[in-house]
Amino acid sequence: MAKPKIASDWLCGCAGCHMSLLDMDERILQVVELADLRSSPITDLKEPDESGVDVGILEGGINNTANEAVARKFRQRSKILVALGDCAVFGGVPAMRNFCGVHEALQRAYVDAESNEPGSQIPNDPELATMTQTRALHEVVDVDYNVPGCPPDADVIFYVLAELAQGRKPELKDEMLHWN
Amino acid sequence: MVQLTINGQQIEAPEGSTVLSAAKRAGIEIPTLCAHKELTPFGGCRLCIVDVQGFRVPIASCTLPVSNGMVVNTETEALKKSRKFILSMLFSERNHFCPFCQVSGGDCDLQNAAYHEGMTHWPMQPGWNKFPVDSSHPYFVLDNNRCILCRRCVRACGELVGNFTLSMAERGASTLVVADTNVPLGESTCINCGMCVQVCPTGALIDRTSAYQGHDLAMTEIKSVCVGCSVGCGVKLIVHDNRIVRIEGDWDGAVNHGILCEHGRYDPMNETRQRLTTPLMRKDGVLTPVSWDEALGAVADKLKPLAGKQNGGLAAIASTRLPAEALSMFKELFADGCKSGMVTSTEEGITTAAVSAVAKKVGAFEGKLDVLRNADMVLCVGANVARSHMVTGFLVKRALPKGMRLVNIDPEASELDELADVSLKTQSGSDLTLIEGLQAVIVKEGLGRTALVIKDADALIAAAVKTCGVEQAALERAARMLAQAVSPVILFGKGLTARRDEKLVEALLALAKLTGAVDGERNGLISVKGEANSLAAAQLGLDSAFALDGQHAVYAAIGDDYISKWLLERLSQAPYLVVQASYASKLTEKADVVLPVGLWSEQAGHYLNLDGRLQQAEKAVNAPENVRENSAVLAEVAMRMNMPVKHDWQTALHERASSVALN
Amino acid sequence: MSTQKITIEPVTRIEGHAKVTIHMKDDGSVEHAYMHVNEFRGFEKFCEGRLYFEMPQITPRICGICPVSHHLAAAKASDALTGQTPPRPANLLRELMHMGQIIQSHGMHFFELAGPDLLLGFDASPEVRSVVGLIGANPGLTVKAVMLRKFGQEIIRTLGGRRIHPNFAVPGGVNKALQPAERDSILQGVDGAVEALQIGLQIMKDWAEKNMEDINKFAVFPTGYFGLVTPQNGLELYDGDIRLIDSAGQDLERFDGADYLKIISEHVEPWSYLKFPYYTKMGYPNGVYRVGPLGRLNIAEKIDTPLANEELKLFKALTPGKPVENTLYYHYARLIEALFAVERARILCEDKDILSTEILNTRRNFTGHGVGVIEAPRGTLIHDYTTDEHGKLLKVNLIVSTGHNNWAMSNAVDSVAKTYVHGPDVKEGMLNRVEAAIRAYDPCLSCSTHAVGQMPIQVEILGPDGALLQTLTRD
Repeated sequence: MAKPKIASDWLCGCAGCHMSLLDMDERILQVVELADLRSSPITDLKEPDESGVDVGILEGGINNTANEAVARKFRQRSKILVALGDCAVFGGVPAMRNFCGVHEALQRAYVDAESNEPGSQIPNDPELATMTQTRALHEVVDVDYNVPGCPPDADVIFYVLAELAQGRKPELKDEMLHWN
Repeated sequence: MVQLTINGQQIEAPEGSTVLSAAKRAGIEIPTLCAHKELTPFGGCRLCIVDVQGFRVPIASCTLPVSNGMVVNTETEALKKSRKFILSMLFSERNHFCPFCQVSGGDCDLQNAAYHEGMTHWPMQPGWNKFPVDSSHPYFVLDNNRCILCRRCVRACGELVGNFTLSMAERGASTLVVADTNVPLGESTCINCGMCVQVCPTGALIDRTSAYQGHDLAMTEIKSVCVGCSVGCGVKLIVHDNRIVRIEGDWDGAVNHGILCEHGRYDPMNETRQRLTTPLMRKDGVLTPVSWDEALGAVADKLKPLAGKQNGGLAAIASTRLPAEALSMFKELFADGCKSGMVTSTEEGITTAAVSAVAKKVGAFEGKLDVLRNADMVLCVGANVARSHMVTGFLVKRALPKGMRLVNIDPEASELDELADVSLKTQSGSDLTLIEGLQAVIVKEGLGRTALVIKDADALIAAAVKTCGVEQAALERAARMLAQAVSPVILFGKGLTARRDEKLVEALLALAKLTGAVDGERNGLISVKGEANSLAAAQLGLDSAFALDGQHAVYAAIGDDYISKWLLERLSQAPYLVVQASYASKLTEKADVVLPVGLWSEQAGHYLNLDGRLQQAEKAVNAPENVRENSAVLAEVAMRMNMPVKHDWQTALHERASSVALN
Repeated sequence: MSTQKITIEPVTRIEGHAKVTIHMKDDGSVEHAYMHVNEFRGFEKFCEGRLYFEMPQITPRICGICPVSHHLAAAKASDALTGQTPPRPANLLRELMHMGQIIQSHGMHFFELAGPDLLLGFDASPEVRSVVGLIGANPGLTVKAVMLRKFGQEIIRTLGGRRIHPNFAVPGGVNKALQPAERDSILQGVDGAVEALQIGLQIMKDWAEKNMEDINKFAVFPTGYFGLVTPQNGLELYDGDIRLIDSAGQDLERFDGADYLKIISEHVEPWSYLKFPYYTKMGYPNGVYRVGPLGRLNIAEKIDTPLANEELKLFKALTPGKPVENTLYYHYARLIEALFAVERARILCEDKDILSTEILNTRRNFTGHGVGVIEAPRGTLIHDYTTDEHGKLLKVNLIVSTGHNNWAMSNAVDSVAKTYVHGPDVKEGMLNRVEAAIRAYDPCLSCSTHAVGQMPIQVEILGPDGALLQTLTRD
């Protein structure tokens, strides 16, 4: 029987949740035994298989049009979608931008910062994504599992992956639900 | 007792208690956020809801009194769902993002509650409304974005401390905690006691000094006693890596039940003085680091020949912050051993000599602080308990809104003046006349409870008005208030006792008996005394005024105390000065020998608080390597002078009659 | 005149989000290639109103690979702001955590992010060209790589309670002393880490020998070089003055990082959210410089630890008398730095003060302004805070490591595209090389833009009339 396919990506986050995933250290070999890791920021496959994956894992919230598109593609192509980490589950630290506003943030960074050349403007090339309100993943697509933490413990991530890879439903509670 | 059933368990609970507390007594924990055992129930968070048979809807158990035959269920599926929803509602407002909050990871009741209910996400995202962050206060930060409106801080500021600085402003989702009429905390009537921070269940109130120093679970908690003054509050020292990270009031503290003032909570954390780390000796005019052996040897060599001399002998002075063990040794060595006639404490008996003298005649006559809890009237004489002995002041201030009356007698301006029903600003030194005036009014109007005879009441009243500079109406009002009270308490302090005149104390005692403040059943006369071991020093007879009269040497056991200007002036005149201290100061700069000693938190020791309670302060941290304990240094000096001390401090404390029963 | 556009999106095996657009001419050669950094979060703005002492906990959320760099830079800026100079043991402990960071970050980058290109080849199939492929091809080596990263991460966790976003440095010092058993545990891992890095160095040297042609034509260009140094111009990663040299290796500036505004400025282009720092005096783009491993080994004249110093000598001999300009040698420099970090960790653990409990100075001399500078794995990191008299942040300026390399990365992308990408039949391996140009710099794009993003990959080659000529998809 074919190994279940897992795909992951990071949206508006810091990569810390993927680093916490790597913090399972040698257990990564176990995971690779149990499952087929497809597209991921650390592999060279750029998006989840068009034919679909069993588990899609997204770190990071959604704060621009590019993130939104990835989130929707992941929902469409994943049987099970996991929101990994506080940014994906709640919006996280990047959501603090919602309290001051996108434009104010762009203005400070690209126009007002003391180190900027005089006359600097906010970047606006069409190649660039458009900034939006920062949102949790579940505000944009349906999420099957939420794994909170900033980042979640490597042990918790390993537990969730191992359970899903073996067709079971991970349950986060008691010692699996704590601030790391 | 009331009989009820909780979760199928038969439980007995005292009449008038709440279902929440009854459950807790039976070992059943109901989740709460706004409840706190020392604060009146608020019923605001609704997390503690329970099902009661016969009730239409779930009800908050923190505000529900028990009744016979009640059948309560605390853990149904529906209740669990409701609790999750309640938490969701809390998370849907303000900013409850955990990642960088100081209390995240075990010290946040809100986060713990959410995990306890198995929440892994928020069904409702917040509304992105920004609330103010008040960073104007030197000791803590108020972040309204993290507040869950539990009102614990408001209740603590009012009910526990009686200051009423904090309250709520606005309504609905805009409600927020404000200081006074919404002014920055740093510019408000806040008295920096920090009780609000101690009770806050979330990261809304953050202690600046201990922020990010690590989670409480990883720290060591040591119960000890504050040595900031003679109240002797129980404290919880939170310690890590040989450092006190934070100080809290101990909720189990016998005297204070968890309350603490600025001096106990924050002063030790804001120390700026330089620590002494090695013995020093003056050589060629310069203070030079030497070994302990050399320093102690020099001290013994210098002092031994002076022992027993009536002229050109030695004098000794000790701080009342020292533990009883050290004070007892000090007295044994210098008063008994060296027979010096000038052995006293830095307080010079200003707060105790007069009461000790009265005790010698009549035995113990003062009462215990607990009497304040049921007082309906307080008379304060020469004791500004709003500024010193502040926890005593809290006990007074917090009873005022419940109808307790306050009369304040003080020549100095005091924060109590605007709180008092009657404030009598007397001329300095006219206390006796005033007390006699009060007695006169009471006797004249037949309100007295003893058979005190006063020949010419009117003359005394007139004298009080004239000499003290008070209005007759005010004097009469104060007297009546005192006499008509059911359970009055009289507090007095330095303002009255500084003149060392026992007649003043005797007059006050007579007034107390006249008004029922002191009778066969209760004793409501209390002197607040001074520093941590004021009473112990008094018991050891270390209460004379300090004056140099040709002594050749002075031994000053200062410990970690501050040096006042007058002390510095007088001690600087000593031909040879030995200073046993923790911190460098202008005094140590003048010394011939400096012996570095541990702080209050670096030694275990006993303290006799103002109402006779013997308590032990624990050693919480280790002193720097080359620093020794106060008692050890005195014992060593004594040994080298061939006057080894017996060190029976417990007996020593009982050798004199105490003004308050010792226990 | 550009007629076709190739888009590479996302660039993989880097931290953060980048997109490359390659504009082709009719003759199939590359007219220009751009690296668009496609993220922005806005830390500088939303930190306003917070308290300075929260920054060591807020700013690590800029990056989960190098959170310690931000954690320590924030603490250093706070030290300066409050005038609380940390006691010596606290600085030793902070530096020890920093070494853990360097070891795990550099180690992970070489073996797990860059490694697949070197070990499996630029042209290997995308299906296997990753750490997963490495597990299959050489499980033993992969385990060594995992354990090397673990060694670094465990140092961080031992000191700060967790591996990512630890709680350790506070204004005036750190909040926890090191226990003897913990110190011993770190020392026990040193030899294994050295061995793993020496294997890495051998892999690098062997690869360089076999691929000299690529090494010498793959994004080789002059720039200045910038970073911290010891007073004797030794490699320095925790604290020191900044040294800036020109492309010939001559000194341009030597200054206290707190004065950075007097020396560098940032240029903004409309097509990237990442700004372009440069040496103000020489203008943009003449004043561009490189940071990170290659930059640091160019400005350092020696390394104060023996094994790494021997390797540095070999490195300097690659281009005697002038700085090393080859982009691919970043991988080589990265390993030498990691080796230094391991040796330095041992020296710190053996210091007489490393177990001291004198770890916090609470005496203040509050000024309300502070700059904290540190060498993050990817380059010089600058945190600049201004607060009111109560410590509430009024202004935050962050210049983050990879940002200094922005011009160099963009130029590398353009150079490699022009060198290796030829139409009309554009092969996937060519595009991978363009990505490898970015990877060599080990960019931390979340860091540098204080942002992140990602998009699905589809490469469309359009003809002059807009008709679709060829589609390359990677999935």
